[in-house]
Amino acid sequence: MLTVEHLHKQFPVAGSNKVVSAINDVSFTIAPGETLGLVGESGSGKTTVGRIVVGLIEPSSGAVRFDLAGNANNRARPPKGKVQLVFQEPAESLDPRLRIGATVAEPLQALAVDRSEWRRRVRDAMALVRLDLALLDSYPAELSAGQQQRVGVARAMITEPDLVVLDEPTSALDPTARAEIIDLLKRIQAERNTAYLFISHDLSTIRFISHRVAVMYLGMIVEQGDAATLFSQPQHPYSSGLLSSVLLPHPDLVMESSVSLKGEIPSPIDLPPGCFLASRCPFVIDRCRAARPPAESVGPGHIVHCFRHNDVAATTPASKTFEAFMAEAERILARPVSQPIRFTPQP
Amino acid sequence: MRAGVSTAIGATKPMGTVLPAMSADLLRVENMRVVFPTAIGRSRTVLHGIDLSVKSGEILGLVGESGAGKTTLARSILGAPPVPGRIATGRVMFEGRDILTLPEKQLRSLRGRRLAMVVPNPRGELNPTIAIGDQIATMARVHLGLDRKGARARALEMLKAVQIPDPERRMKSYPHELSGGMAQRAVIAIALICDPAFVISDDATSGLDVTVQAQILDLLRKLAAEHGSAMLFITRDVGITAHFCDRVAVLYDGEIMEAASRNALFLSPAHPYTLLLLAAFSHNSALRRGWSMTPPAPAPAAVEACIYAGRCPLAQPLCRREKPPLAELMPGHVVRCHFPVRR
Repeated sequence: MLTVEHLHKQFPVAGSNKVVSAINDVSFTIAPGETLGLVGESGSGKTTVGRIVVGLIEPSSGAVRFDLAGNANNRARPPKGKVQLVFQEPAESLDPRLRIGATVAEPLQALAVDRSEWRRRVRDAMALVRLDLALLDSYPAELSAGQQQRVGVARAMITEPDLVVLDEPTSALDPTARAEIIDLLKRIQAERNTAYLFISHDLSTIRFISHRVAVMYLGMIVEQGDAATLFSQPQHPYSSGLLSSVLLPHPDLVMESSVSLKGEIPSPIDLPPGCFLASRCPFVIDRCRAARPPAESVGPGHIVHCFRHNDVAATTPASKTFEAFMAEAERILARPVSQPIRFTPQP
Repeated sequence: MRAGVSTAIGATKPMGTVLPAMSADLLRVENMRVVFPTAIGRSRTVLHGIDLSVKSGEILGLVGESGAGKTTLARSILGAPPVPGRIATGRVMFEGRDILTLPEKQLRSLRGRRLAMVVPNPRGELNPTIAIGDQIATMARVHLGLDRKGARARALEMLKAVQIPDPERRMKSYPHELSGGMAQRAVIAIALICDPAFVISDDATSGLDVTVQAQILDLLRKLAAEHGSAMLFITRDVGITAHFCDRVAVLYDGEIMEAASRNALFLSPAHPYTLLLLAAFSHNSALRRGWSMTPPAPAPAAVEACIYAGRCPLAQPLCRREKPPLAELMPGHVVRCHFPVRR
């Protein structure tokens, strides 16, 4: 449904003739009803990719194509309202002076939907995100962060989009509110077959919402593949190092990795000719500094950019950490079947 | 083992720790109650009588969601609750004295030298107009009485200790020239340059990328172990505490609901709120529904009710009438619940 091919984006640096290479040859596809998780650290270019997909930024080169109903000749711009964006900071993405009802209705104005339909569509959108209709007359400041983000989702969904780009939609939320938004997004996807481009730095959230995952580093997708496969057997040293830094709430469950990432993401100005990870990678050989590793297919839909991916896979044991955590969670968190027993502390 | 955290309820009941306090506590907070005025003659209690203790070399995790009172607690321990908050009751015992009774001048010299705090948003903490080397060195000059040259040498050592690449050059850098991770390291260098005995980390790693966060956590633990200092590690990320802290306490609406060694807390959680927090990370909605109430019941009217009764799926009539004490379920494992989950 969405095809992104060889995307590049450079931003000029003020007061200099240098450029920031934010996106370097990014390609991916998203099918209807599918979630692609785009994961990376700050500065990896994941937000820029999202903004190019929704058309807020023009790419320097490369193609973004939508294969949607009513988009006969595969134009770069999809019909209005078919691609929507949900922002990171729920409080900042809502107009503080606009009541919730007016905020949710705003996209209908751009679509020139007949006024007589607004009321029904707003109510449907509120029901979809399980928000009380009594909130329609409230202002954003009166809502909790979780409710504000539901408003953000309702505003995106009111146009019945085929693709929603979610840029860190849960990063500003507490764990319980975060889990509720994830549930909500999954339910909407099941009901409406909406596709998501889910951008986040939070690997555990990415793991649970995505069908496929793309790992970004310095403007490149270094590895992409099926979520379960990539999380259990990463083949790129960066994916492996990133996964080993996930801290699940269980003292005994850690992702094993032969990669311990030191230092930080380098500057996207004056990029090296070779692999971008070479300066931080324990697997580095001379060849990595000379040339950029091409895309190699290592399984169905599993693409990796690394000369030594076989060695990475061989030294990193396949991890079932997330599966083990799920199993442990079921044991630890199951509701007791017996009646609660009064606890009387011993004096 | 003894109960590390215990609490008395507000100011209405006499101070009572669960077991006699041991002298090995490096820092002990007793019955900390903090109120914020809301309107003329009215006030809101944000901390309802917190008791907690940290031993030398120990890392105590404190988890809670936004609004639980985490930052208020962190700042009140240093005698500076967020304005307009006021410490209504409470003692902070540190090195044999109650630091809250010290004159402002003594308290100020204690903060920074023996007690340090690392906060999030490092750029807000650093002075944008002064090179970071000078900002770090100033701490050593003021608190350790070093001369200019000695202080700069010490600052450079600290930059190396926090693993800032190219430290000699970074001494002359201004905050805007540093990445978020590097600025956070600089703030840690400022906090630790005087070898403080007790460090409070208030969500210090929340804005960082996971790989940088892992490096900062390793660094904090290494420095704590080397200097024998203790730490109160405040965060909303439950996952970090499972790997980084020796003991973990759960804060909800200004009260400690449960505290235990990390193994006990994560492998046999007893309070329904702890279970809800952990369920949020499992991404299994069926599990989470078991521990959440939608919509939450109205808050119980009785003043002496359990504050969690309105959200608790296990709540019984007793919970709406009578507030449970923080009591010892197993040695070292305390819980504030009439009907804790036991398996």
